[in-house]
Amino acid sequence: MVLLQPDPFLNELTSMFEHSTEKGTVWVTLKRSSLKSKVQRNKMAAAGEPLEYRCLIRATNGKKTISTSVGPKDHQRFQASYATILKAHMTSLKKRERKDKKKVPGADKKEGGSKKPKRA
Amino acid sequence: MVYITSWDEFVERSAQLFRADPDSTRYVMKYRHCDGKLVLKVTDNKECLKFKTDQAQDAKKMEKLNNIFFTLMSRGPDADVSKLQGKNRQKHNQGKEGEGNNSFVGC
Repeated sequence: MVLLQPDPFLNELTSMFEHSTEKGTVWVTLKRSSLKSKVQRNKMAAAGEPLEYRCLIRATNGKKTISTSVGPKDHQRFQASYATILKAHMTSLKKRERKDKKKVPGADKKEGGSKKPKRA
Repeated sequence: MVYITSWDEFVERSAQLFRADPDSTRYVMKYRHCDGKLVLKVTDNKECLKFKTDQAQDAKKMEKLNNIFFTLMSRGPDADVSKLQGKNRQKHNQGKEGEGNNSFVGC
């Protein structure tokens, strides 16, 4: 398990997506963590120190796992970059064609499309 | 495995699950390019909520959910995500209050 800084993590994540286009999966897990062991946490709670939480992000392609942790200050920037990567790579999902070229009356009436009935 | 069909219900219940137990709740995303499938899972090790899709529009919705989770997890379960969740419904009212109305005054 490789713990990286947010930027190298994003680079590795990108390459993971690129390598798994033909075959394979990419899993990304988000979890809140203080990154401290239970003993340390108990000590800190007993001493009255506020516990600092970070968001732990893990990614794997089944063979390699990478991870990073993001604090409240850098999470905005990280989530913007992360969203960009996802948008760029999730291209195999189906796009719903609302504006159908075929005129099929009554088929898609539920979705309230922008069909204007033309009556000559 | 509990697959939720409604996106809004999935978001609502995931946020609730997280707030109830922030330390053990995790959000997992699985993407298979070869199959064109995306599966989201939120679990606190007791209860599990899943959502699967093959639609590109759900990827956009998932990005918003990612924002919600990032905020909740890094800032804490009490973080204000109402702005993030309410974006779908009230695009014009919320957000930048300082700028006022977008429509030009005085034609």
